[in-house]
Amino acid sequence: MAITGLPQPPQIHRVPQFRYVDSIRWLPSISPFQKYLTVAFFDTDSGTPSLEIHSLSSSKTLSLLSSWNPPSRISSLKCTPSLIAASTFSGSLHCFSTAGKSLESVFAEPQISVVGRDFHVGPIGGVDLMEGGSDCVSVGEDGRVNLVKIGVEGYHGKGNCRRVFDGNGLVSYTAVRWASPTEFVTGGCGFGLQWWDLRRPGSAVAQFKDNWDQGTTSGIIHSIDIHPSRKHTCLAGGSAGTVFAWDLRWQQEPIILSGVGTNDAKTHSLSESDVWEVHYDCYMKSASSNTSSSRILPAMICSEDGILAVIEQGEEPLELLAEPCAINSFDINCQNPSDVICSLEWESIAILSRP
Amino acid sequence: MPRVASGSGGGGASDSITGALVPFLPDSQDAVVYPLGHGLKPPISRVSISWARGNTLRVSVFRSSPAESDSDEDVGGKVMEVRPGGNVDGQLSDAQWRRIAYGSVSPFALLQSRRNSALSVSKMGLSPSPYHLEWWEYVSEYSKDVSSLLGNPKSSAGPVIEDPKEVLKKVEEPTCLKAAWDLMEMFYADKLSQAWLPERLVDWLADYDSLLSDTQATVYLKLMEFQGLLVTLLVIEDDSRYWEVISSALAVGWLEIAVKMLRLHGSYQLDQLGSRETENGLVEAVAVLISKMPRLRPELGAGKLGECFKTKPDFMKAWERWRAQVTKLESSAFWLQCDHLQTREGLKNMLQIMLGNASILSTATCNWMELYISHILYIRPFTVGLESMYSLAQKCIQLKPMTIPHKLMRLIVGILGENTEVILAECSRDFGTWMAAHAIEFLTAGSDQAEVLLHEERDNLGGINIEELHRLIYAQVLSSHILTWQIAPIYLMSCMKQGMGLLEILLYRQPVQHNQLLVKNLEICRLYELDSVSSNIMKIAGVYHWKHGRKGYGVFWLQQARDEVCLNRIAQQLFNSVGKSISDESFKQWEGLIELLGSESKPSGGLEFLHKYRDFKRSLKQVNDGKITDATQQAVESLMSLMKNTSTPQRFWLPILYDSLKLLNWQERPLLNVSQTNLLLNKLQELSMARLHPDFIEADLPPQALSSVRLALATNLGRAILEES
Repeated sequence: MAITGLPQPPQIHRVPQFRYVDSIRWLPSISPFQKYLTVAFFDTDSGTPSLEIHSLSSSKTLSLLSSWNPPSRISSLKCTPSLIAASTFSGSLHCFSTAGKSLESVFAEPQISVVGRDFHVGPIGGVDLMEGGSDCVSVGEDGRVNLVKIGVEGYHGKGNCRRVFDGNGLVSYTAVRWASPTEFVTGGCGFGLQWWDLRRPGSAVAQFKDNWDQGTTSGIIHSIDIHPSRKHTCLAGGSAGTVFAWDLRWQQEPIILSGVGTNDAKTHSLSESDVWEVHYDCYMKSASSNTSSSRILPAMICSEDGILAVIEQGEEPLELLAEPCAINSFDINCQNPSDVICSLEWESIAILSRP
Repeated sequence: MPRVASGSGGGGASDSITGALVPFLPDSQDAVVYPLGHGLKPPISRVSISWARGNTLRVSVFRSSPAESDSDEDVGGKVMEVRPGGNVDGQLSDAQWRRIAYGSVSPFALLQSRRNSALSVSKMGLSPSPYHLEWWEYVSEYSKDVSSLLGNPKSSAGPVIEDPKEVLKKVEEPTCLKAAWDLMEMFYADKLSQAWLPERLVDWLADYDSLLSDTQATVYLKLMEFQGLLVTLLVIEDDSRYWEVISSALAVGWLEIAVKMLRLHGSYQLDQLGSRETENGLVEAVAVLISKMPRLRPELGAGKLGECFKTKPDFMKAWERWRAQVTKLESSAFWLQCDHLQTREGLKNMLQIMLGNASILSTATCNWMELYISHILYIRPFTVGLESMYSLAQKCIQLKPMTIPHKLMRLIVGILGENTEVILAECSRDFGTWMAAHAIEFLTAGSDQAEVLLHEERDNLGGINIEELHRLIYAQVLSSHILTWQIAPIYLMSCMKQGMGLLEILLYRQPVQHNQLLVKNLEICRLYELDSVSSNIMKIAGVYHWKHGRKGYGVFWLQQARDEVCLNRIAQQLFNSVGKSISDESFKQWEGLIELLGSESKPSGGLEFLHKYRDFKRSLKQVNDGKITDATQQAVESLMSLMKNTSTPQRFWLPILYDSLKLLNWQERPLLNVSQTNLLLNKLQELSMARLHPDFIEADLPPQALSSVRLALATNLGRAILEES
């Protein structure tokens, strides 16, 4: 008889890559038996970055389907069932359409490439694709927030790019996430979050600035996630192991899920180093029967000190992976949430299958 | 390529290059071309080359006139790094080396922490020796962990149906690094198998003889060559090479290959069995004798031939018995009935090998290492102890001198000679810095004498010991690569004397441009509690971002570093642009930065003024002429708090007052009372004095601004006095 209560550890496969993995995402596939990945690599020996699509076999081996060389390293990567968006450290954005194409030909040519001083100067901190839509929002260290329309067929160039805001470097953004077709959230220094509404242009409609630590340390937001069923709540992860949720309805009271900047004994501090990515984890069923909309759903995080874990409000965190090196990015397969993939600092990929 | 001017034409090549810093022989080496993809549009006006990190060269390429190009994509130049030459071990690519480097971090760190706890236990007097008895078990565990990283040559599974003519199995090409590591492990870490060390050496040669073929003639090469011929030979036993190869395989102890080849003998064929019965009987007798050879070892791998004996007395008995059988066969009468000359000679030769005939062993083997193994197997099977093994090796080297000694052979000589310095020198020269830094654990665990030698502090090394020296060198190599610098701290921290200093230098040297890299750097500072380094790095990052126009980032990092001085200085710069660019409307842009400056508990070098200024401007905008509202009151309060606050820069006094003219000239009634107005007048007076100072920065206001403010204040004062009286 199986022991209930104790979750079984996931099956872990580590696949060495001999190249640095900048970012990794599952690529939604039409067939349930096929699994595809899109990976941003950086080959230090030749100094060339590449964006690749691989198929993942059941024996956990990767085989290359399509590849493309971006002008510089990929800083942020997002996938929807029909689009792939990749931003670079040199400030360019490249979008590829996957709809109605064989995966072998996806990276033949970008559907849209936006480059130049009018777009972003310096690294793009984050991009996000609207779920089911065709708008891509990008934010950068230069403080610009840009919107790129992709769907327009045969429409290349800069004409479909619109500046939402220009911070002129007075502020830098490091992460962005759509909340609804007209709203998105950006994150930056000082654990700052900004809520933007395209219907009210000019500036952010709501701002959050950490106020829980009266000390002198603060941090940077590295990643933001918003659950489609709770669009008023924004989940953010950043420096010093900090993971918190910001509910628009109670803007002054963030819910801290993990972190060292708090004296709250109820909060479990999982890691003291930077949380690189956060995603809601739809695989984990909430342990509590309390399903009110103010309760934060379970979320997965990866950190600089090599931890991949699921955290939940008021619960003991569940550690899935503890590596001797940093886990820089991860992704949960939205079609089969038991599958998780993450990129490790030491030039390899780890594939987890949860029981 | 540049040629070094030679002094005199006479003499050899080495004479002609006197005066050169590095000997350059134009004929001996081909010029190597490194293609560089700089992607710049011609014309290129200037190229500069300098050393970059590690062994890489930094090449900077400049275009002639970047000014005339307006397009976004055009850049004025590009800087690239080129890595000339190859690596130490040509068998491993850079990426494979990195993989080994990553994988060896955990075993190394574990062993160090065990050593530290062992040392602390011995310091407390609980154990007489710093390395208690089980220390070698830890070293053995470490060795196995590392060894698994270096590849596993025995892992490949053979085909289900064996090819009868395939004598040598194709396996994954072993690496010299793995061979060297196995050798060290065998002699230093695996204490359990010290009793059957000679047999382990036999196995080692069987695994790695192919590597020796790089510089030596080997039995392996002979076999490979013969295997190619095998398909073309019709009557195999007529060929003298067949017998040569079998004898060689037997001499180095590859019994299964020898037996398998013997069974290819023509007499085994069904149509010939009748006519060559005696001959076949002799071949089979030799084959059976070979497969029954006694071995002093606990076990044999699958498919290996021989009979194992764990204890020496048993082995000796068995050996005598086996030798007697061999001698008996040798003097058998059946040889006279064998009329196939080659078979008779060949088999008799093999019997001589089994009886330990030194001259035949010498002809059957190709280099001293193989000869050594054959001596161990057939002449001195009872050899024990490094000393006797070393003297035997010396003898074999004399019998078969090396023309070009292979690096693995040099290492073996060093190990057998128990010469720690030689071993270390060979490790570092031939197998790279990784090997030297990691193999030292074997040597210190090996003997007390070696431990003293390696841990002795040396003045000629600046007071550090040899162990630390090799770790430092390895850490230096790690530091020079953008992907491995992060693991260098693990090795630096195990260096007592110089480690910390070099770690600080390493951390300071990392680029701060990339946010992610910067964060990783700061994380290492946090792990090793290097708070001052961390705050200096944040200062560097802050200034870098500030200079590159990312003011928000700059302020953020400087705030994190609590650098009041820098913040003060950039505050002055920031106020300049505030004065010029901030109209009432453009505050939206500043919103983010002002939010960042936010709470007063954080150091901001006077930048918190911006926060108050923003509030003042905001309330002023809401003030409507005519009616007194909350906004009006708030605007007055903001004005007063700004003017009272010492952090408000002097140059803003006049603009603030000028902005508040409508408050001062309020129609309905005076908004400021007497004391408030006096305070403002005092400020105005102070400002007039300051204007005489040469450093004063004039605000960008209409010329009559000062007088209109003065007039407004005077009027307000008058009205306030009247009202209050």
